[in-house]
Amino acid sequence: MPDRHTMLRQISEVSFVINDLTLFLDTHPTDKGALDLFDKYSQERKLLLNDYEQQFEPLTTDYVQTETEHTNKDFCHHADKRHFTWVDGPTPWEGGHI
Amino acid sequence: MWNYEKRLQYPVKITETCPKTAQLIISQFGGPDGELAASMRYLSQRYTMPCREVAGLLTDIGTEELAHLEIICAILYQLTKDLTSEDAKTAGFDGYYIDHTKALWPQAAGGIPFNACEFQSKGDAITDLFEDLAAEQKARTTYDNILRVVTNPEVRDPIRFLRAREVVHFQRFGEALEKTKERLNPNNYYFFNPEFDTQFMK
Repeated sequence: MPDRHTMLRQISEVSFVINDLTLFLDTHPTDKGALDLFDKYSQERKLLLNDYEQQFEPLTTDYVQTETEHTNKDFCHHADKRHFTWVDGPTPWEGGHI
Repeated sequence: MWNYEKRLQYPVKITETCPKTAQLIISQFGGPDGELAASMRYLSQRYTMPCREVAGLLTDIGTEELAHLEIICAILYQLTKDLTSEDAKTAGFDGYYIDHTKALWPQAAGGIPFNACEFQSKGDAITDLFEDLAAEQKARTTYDNILRVVTNPEVRDPIRFLRAREVVHFQRFGEALEKTKERLNPNNYYFFNPEFDTQFMK
C-alpha cells in the first residue's frame, strides 16, 4: 500500500486537474475535450479519496464511514473504539505529511 | 454553502524558522493584493453580475482564493512555529510578536491591518471585471517581488504555484469580460453600467 505522502500527492495532482478544468469549463462549457478530461479525472479522484479513507482517514465529511477500521492508526486518538473519523488525521498546515 | 477538504491545494513543507520571510509573505494574507482580499472581492461581486456564467466563475475563483489563503497561512505558520522571543527581536518581527505572539493575523508587509476597502465591489460588471483583471496582475507582481527577495527553495516552491494561478485567473477573467461585452446593447459604446441600467444589456 502506498504511504500517506504518496497518496496525498496523487490526490493533490488529480484534484488540481479538476480545479483548473472547472475554471476553464466555466468559460468554455461546451468544450468536448475538457468535458472528457473532467469525467476521467473526477472518477479517478473519487476512487483515490475512497482509498485514502480506507487506509487513513476521510478528507471530506462525505467520505466519513462511522464503522470503518482504518489500516493505519497514526493521528488517531480513538483507535480502539467506534468514533467519528473526521477528527482523525493531521491538520493540513502541519507540513509533516506531504 | 462551502465544504472543507482536509488538505492543502499545493503542499507546503518548510523546515527552517524565518520570521523575516514571514513578515514579507504576510502581505499575501492581509495585504492590499492578498488572497483574503481577492477571495472576498470576487465572492462579494458575484451576486449582482448580469451574466450567470461570470457569477459562476467568480464563485469558483473566489473559492480557489480561499485555498490559496490557506497555503499562505501554512507558509507563515511553518516559518514561525518554532519562533523564540529572541528570534523575533533580531528579525524585526518583535512588533508583531508583542501583539499576536505566533498567531496569524491579516496585515500587509508594512504592518497595515487588513482593510475591507480592498474588496472593490462597485456594482458595475465592466468596472468590476477590469478591477479583477488588475487584481490578478497586482497579486502576480507581489509574488514576483517575493520571489526576487526570498531565496529558500522550500518557500519559493509554493509561491511559484500561487504566482502561476494568478496568471490563469487573469486569462479566465479576460474571457469573462469578453462574454459580458458580447451581451451589451450595441449602442452602449462606452461600456456604461450594464449591471444597474439593464437597458445597456441586449
